[in-house]
Amino acid sequence: MADVSEIQAGATQKRRTDWLFVVGVSIVSLVVVLAAIGPAISPYDPTVSTPTVSMPPPPLAQWPSLFWGVLTGSVEQTPHWFGTDSSGFDIFSRVISAPRIDLTIALAANGLSLLLGVFLGLIAGYFRNIGTEVMMRTSDVLQSFPVFISAMILVALAGRSTTNIVIALALLYTPIYVRLTRSEVLSQKTRGYVEAARALGNSELIIALRHVLPNSMAPALIQSSVTIGFAILLTAGLSFVGAGVRPPTPEWGLMISTGATQIVLGEWWPSLFPGIAISATVFGFAVLGNALERRYAG
Amino acid sequence: MLLRYVIGRLLVGVTQLLVLTIAVFFLIRLLPADPVSRFVGLNSSDEAYAQAERNLGLDRPIGTQLAHYLGLAPDEGSGLLQGDLGTSWVTGSPVVSEIGQTLPLTLELITLSFLFAFLIAVPVGMLAALRPGGKADKAVFVYSLFAGSQPEFWWGILFVYVFFFVLGVAPPPLGILSPLTTAPPATTGFILVDSLIAGNVSAFFEALHHFMLPVGTLVFILSGPIVKMVRQNMVRALQSDFVLYARCAGLPRRVIAFYALRAAMAPAMTLIGILYGFMLGGAVLVESVFALGGIGQYAIRSILAFDYPAIQGVVLVITAISLLIYLLLDIAHAFIDPRVAY
Repeated sequence: MADVSEIQAGATQKRRTDWLFVVGVSIVSLVVVLAAIGPAISPYDPTVSTPTVSMPPPPLAQWPSLFWGVLTGSVEQTPHWFGTDSSGFDIFSRVISAPRIDLTIALAANGLSLLLGVFLGLIAGYFRNIGTEVMMRTSDVLQSFPVFISAMILVALAGRSTTNIVIALALLYTPIYVRLTRSEVLSQKTRGYVEAARALGNSELIIALRHVLPNSMAPALIQSSVTIGFAILLTAGLSFVGAGVRPPTPEWGLMISTGATQIVLGEWWPSLFPGIAISATVFGFAVLGNALERRYAG
Repeated sequence: MLLRYVIGRLLVGVTQLLVLTIAVFFLIRLLPADPVSRFVGLNSSDEAYAQAERNLGLDRPIGTQLAHYLGLAPDEGSGLLQGDLGTSWVTGSPVVSEIGQTLPLTLELITLSFLFAFLIAVPVGMLAALRPGGKADKAVFVYSLFAGSQPEFWWGILFVYVFFFVLGVAPPPLGILSPLTTAPPATTGFILVDSLIAGNVSAFFEALHHFMLPVGTLVFILSGPIVKMVRQNMVRALQSDFVLYARCAGLPRRVIAFYALRAAMAPAMTLIGILYGFMLGGAVLVESVFALGGIGQYAIRSILAFDYPAIQGVVLVITAISLLIYLLLDIAHAFIDPRVAY
């Protein structure tokens, strides 16, 4: 009896939509779209302050009529949907402009470390000698650094620029990919197809690059969705403690940090909206990573 | 055999620390920061600049600086080998004593958070494991995915707004004791322990009250990965033969659950250790939100002020503690399961 119900449960599970996955994909797509067009569609310039300081957002009940007013042109000035912060910046414009900074940093850092890590992992796994042993021990040492504090040190001492944040994060994430790719390469290179390629007279380099590499990339690619999310968290965290991008760059962590001083006075809106944005974005990437893992790794 | 294993692991750990210390030493000097102009100002005269450089010891060759830092140059004063991490460039007091003042608070914060995260995560994870794939399991899965991917500093701020500003049940985020309270004499450095030793019950409860929100924030974040892990291990344990045997023997469900839990917790220890080590440096943001004055905040202050000796000290101490925890866990593991040591 138990078997039948289990089979049925499995069958219905296949047919039913995975709502969590849909949510994850929607969030990630929205963030990607905003990164592309966010600054272009924002009603105010995200880096220019307006004369209204610390204005709370309009009550939710007024949103439909305000929105209608904007569409028909009866409201002359675009309302501050999310209010303004203590410097007069329009929070809505900044929240939708921030993905360009946050996502660019996360994608660039992740792409760089993925490229470097997969390449080094392939070498370390395929050609085992003293050189690659030294490399693995170096990556051990790199991985035993406290991540957030190391990122702070790298960015603060090298200069608070977007490029330096990207380099710092790439450096910290590379060992993860080296390790993942190396262990996959170690298991792949004993497979039959490698021996077949060798029997056909391919050189070791060709075998490694053309045959082993494509078969060993799955774990690193799955990991990267999760790492992009964490890179966004780390970037925001760096700005929050004052070791990230400089104001008035529209960046979620920086916005939360500016709002933090205001929150004890009851001004909840400057921190709330960018926080929701980060929270949803990182969750979206985590869901996506988890779904990929279940589909391709399990 | 166990002793040999422990000694081997200790040697590896010490080597790792030494390499790490030297790596950090060179890394912060390679980065294009100019700590000297930070201390004398950008428009200072060349003489003032040279004087400041001499005071900080940065005019010497880098090899001499390293030898001094490691304590290999006895005529220059004590160093790492003598247990001296140097003097802070900002405050002028020894880095060792500054870390000694800030580290206990972070340890208290993390330990309390782990304790509560565990108390919540174990029953929740068990509940999810009872019927894998069921409604409760799915809900718990979404929760653990969500909690594990959240910006903790934002939740901290949100908690401050709700519990301090709106409800008024939490203290303002201004440290571990109210500025008007005299702290109990520092015996151990741990505020909760010290206040009890001094018999100062009101300070004890005040500190607990101030720990409420930061611990709550970390418990929320930590519960994500812990719930996930408890659930996974529990599902595996419930499917194992000894549980089947216990079930066939007609043991009550509560006893079976206890057996399975015990089997599930053993492999969990390693992950807890890694998480604990990670939180030592990862509690930075929460400490900063609540101005608790732990080692994380000390790290922020030192890094933003280019205080090289303090930065080196913080990284060294945090890594040393993490490595020590891994070592203790491995020894415990080898003690329980002697196959590991071979």
